[in-house]
Amino acid sequence: MSAVTDLLQQVVEGLGSGAVYASLALALVLIHRFTGIVNFAQGELAMLSTYVAWQLVASGMPFWLALPVTLAVSFAGGMLVERIVIRPVQGAPELTVVIVTVGLFIFVNALAGLIWSFTVKDFPRQFPDGGLDLAGVRVDWSTLGILGVVAVVMGLLYLLFQHTSSGLVMRAVACNPSSARLSGIRVGRVLMLGWGLAATVGAVSGVLVAPVLFLEPNMMGGVLIYAFAAATLGGFDSPVGAVVGGLIVGVAETLTGAYVDVIGADLKVGVPLMIILAVLLVRPQGLFGRAAVVRA
Amino acid sequence: MSEPTTGRTEPGASAEPDVPEVSGTTGRTEAGASAEPDFLKVSGLHAGYGRARVLQGLDFSVARGEVCAILGPNGAGKTTTLRALSGMAGGRGSVTLDGTELLGRSPEQAARLGVAHVPEGRGTFNDLTVEENLRIGAHLRTARRWRGRAERAAVTADLERIYGHFPRLRQRSRQAAGSLSGGEQQMLAIGRALIRRPALLLLDEPSLGLAPLVTRELFEIVRAVNEEERTTVVVVEQNARLALDIAHRAHVLEAGRLVLSGPAARIREDGHIAEVYLGVPAHARKAG
Amino acid sequence: MSTIAVTLGTDRARRLRAALTVLLAAAVAVGAPFYFAPFQVFQLTMVLLYAVALAGLNLLVGFGGQISLGHGAFFAAGAYTSAVMLDRYDTGHLATLPVAAAGCFLLGLALGVPALRLRGLYLALVTLSLAVFLPPLLKRLEPVTGGSMGLIVDKPQPPAWSGLAEDQWTYFVVLAVTAVALLLARNLLRSRVGRALRAVRDDESAAEVMGVRLSLHKTLAFAWSAMFAGVAGCLYTWVIGFVSPDSFSFVLSVTLLAGLVVGGLASLYGPLLGAAFVTYVPSVSQDLSEAAPGVVFGLLIIAVMFVAPTGLAGLPGRVPVAVARRLSDVAARRPSGVSAVLHRTPPAASAPGPESPSRPGTRASEPLTPADPETVGAPPRTEKE
Repeated sequence: MSAVTDLLQQVVEGLGSGAVYASLALALVLIHRFTGIVNFAQGELAMLSTYVAWQLVASGMPFWLALPVTLAVSFAGGMLVERIVIRPVQGAPELTVVIVTVGLFIFVNALAGLIWSFTVKDFPRQFPDGGLDLAGVRVDWSTLGILGVVAVVMGLLYLLFQHTSSGLVMRAVACNPSSARLSGIRVGRVLMLGWGLAATVGAVSGVLVAPVLFLEPNMMGGVLIYAFAAATLGGFDSPVGAVVGGLIVGVAETLTGAYVDVIGADLKVGVPLMIILAVLLVRPQGLFGRAAVVRA
Repeated sequence: MSEPTTGRTEPGASAEPDVPEVSGTTGRTEAGASAEPDFLKVSGLHAGYGRARVLQGLDFSVARGEVCAILGPNGAGKTTTLRALSGMAGGRGSVTLDGTELLGRSPEQAARLGVAHVPEGRGTFNDLTVEENLRIGAHLRTARRWRGRAERAAVTADLERIYGHFPRLRQRSRQAAGSLSGGEQQMLAIGRALIRRPALLLLDEPSLGLAPLVTRELFEIVRAVNEEERTTVVVVEQNARLALDIAHRAHVLEAGRLVLSGPAARIREDGHIAEVYLGVPAHARKAG
Repeated sequence: MSTIAVTLGTDRARRLRAALTVLLAAAVAVGAPFYFAPFQVFQLTMVLLYAVALAGLNLLVGFGGQISLGHGAFFAAGAYTSAVMLDRYDTGHLATLPVAAAGCFLLGLALGVPALRLRGLYLALVTLSLAVFLPPLLKRLEPVTGGSMGLIVDKPQPPAWSGLAEDQWTYFVVLAVTAVALLLARNLLRSRVGRALRAVRDDESAAEVMGVRLSLHKTLAFAWSAMFAGVAGCLYTWVIGFVSPDSFSFVLSVTLLAGLVVGGLASLYGPLLGAAFVTYVPSVSQDLSEAAPGVVFGLLIIAVMFVAPTGLAGLPGRVPVAVARRLSDVAARRPSGVSAVLHRTPPAASAPGPESPSRPGTRASEPLTPADPETVGAPPRTEKE
């Protein structure tokens, strides 16, 4: 295998894991757009969704039926979380809200351990084994599948936000909640929808990554860090940035893991830290963010 | 000082706006024909934020189809009055619109009852295009029923109506609202409020930060809308002369109380009042 | 008793009470190791060292209004500094303390510069990534750190003249360091730095206008708090005599934050309560299930933020205030975040509009209004002295 095909191989694999980071980053960015906060519990909510899917499959439901059910449950769960946990501190200082999401993080993580124990579970593979051979570069069906799913999610979100009136209302709330209120929009309901949507998008990332990482309560902790790096890189206000950032972070992670001996596989988790620090030093608003928005 | 009454307005006073025919542009008599002098009725309104009491008991009425100006120095409570009407500030007393109590409602409820508040600073949705901003205004219209073809046609007709009032917005309909000039943003904000045919339009400092010519254009449009659509308007304005030009009645607020109420033309023509209460130099008042 | 009651509230009585409290606390603290069994003494020692870390975190979160999700990393850095010095260079225990402290201070400074240029959110992200990155890094640096196996080091030995057992001696050493650290934290808060910090927390832009150099003070606060965590880590090595990467996972960082929030943000004795909380709650609830401490921590954090943002330490002062406010408030628009980081919206039920605008600050009332909501409506300050 030549050096070039080897490099391309790494890039393809990076894109595969990057797509997972992208979808969780997308969920983070959605919430940030709506509420201006970063939801530290996003990964754990995704993990909980994945357990729901696992439970459904384990009780005999075919995966492709369990998936829509899981997404629906996640949507409802996200709305409930907004109503019960976030609404009471809405409008409170950022620190309070952040601490509440950290509390939610701890709680959900432990809850999953309480219900399903901390032992690792095998998650069914959604995509067939094997793949394509493109001029020596092997592209697994699963990689293609993950990229495809994330592309579909992006496309659906685009349609929702740009071409439906609910999407228009949601964008209005994200842009100027008090004005939205004066226009008669029930902002509380829209925020619930936003959280539901984010939880659904996050659930997609959990279900996609579970066959690779194996399912356990701490599964999403690492993914969350990468998603943070992706959102920071893309700009916390830009859904497109989240996806591009996710892919870049995924590729950067794989390449450094493969080619930088000092780092290797075990220290790859330092890559997001480096990316976050570098972005903050060089371009704090991220690639697609607006400077004015980032400065609080 | 006998005709423009000091302190509380007798309920009867607003029943007969008694607008004298003044030469030129301000022949505003049609509102006097209104059979509903208490369309908007504010009584004993105390309002503020937290423990801070800004309004100390306000009483006034606005007839259906009337333009009412609220004037006064900075900090008198003009903005708070509007905020209390639209549910953005809490208060006690009573505010009824066509007999329905408004106090204690949330902003979205007030909006659903027909109050359209254009806040100071315009509250534009900067990330949305001009047309999307207007569609948000039409949200209430479309949100209620299942959106069929007829409903969509109605929204399109509403958009046309607004573009008719504000031709400049049509030119910019695909542009992001954030990229508009201040005057255009103010037009957009008013257009967004008007598209839902509000029962009551609240304008907070529409002239703020705008060039005089733009302001004048804006006020002419408000007057035209009021005449064509019979929209009831309450306008808060620093530029007293402008506001008095389009208003039927005016109230002067000072430190949270009404100190003066009367027909707009009377207040405008009374040099003493204008100078003492509104800071309008005597030589300026004939200019419009 | 009655005489105290009569003079209660006067300045002298307050000072007298404070002095009595301190004396009593000192007597209890000194007497405890002679009364309790060795394991209980060990637990008390852990409470003390956690209190140091929490006091540092409190500087940052409670008074600085910034959030760190990675204080476990500084704790680990301090612990490993001490362990490596003891293991490789045999320096003696006391010598490791200033090195751990200085090292963590510098580390905090280095990370604070990029992380605190913008809003506090990014500090949380950077520290979180750091906390996740550190354990694998420690494993990798095996020649120095002993890798996954960790390092076993000597505990401080009681000198012969003292006649104390090992656990008692360790307890007293830790008690001494803790006392100094807590005093230092208190003095820091009363100094110019502390005042600037509070000003920054209460209103960033106002503080900036008044000439407080924002990023400098935030970065310094972060460095100080990292230093406290490092000192706590150093004490940890002394007490446990063993460090390994898995002792300092992300869970530690989260536990520290949980302890601080539950104990009481922006309170001087909140860290002690919080330290007791993080020491005893896991040991009690772990019997139920492995997941139980997490469930308890998570729920308590959320509950504390909902009902008592000042934590356990703030409860006595908070209840009367809340009652008074309930009585005096008719209409409430939530005052903007001007003076209180920790206060949430007053109960919406007290506002006539069930959903009074929850994003204040978008439109202030008219600037000259004597009853300007930005200042008058502000809730009472939350810090306790």
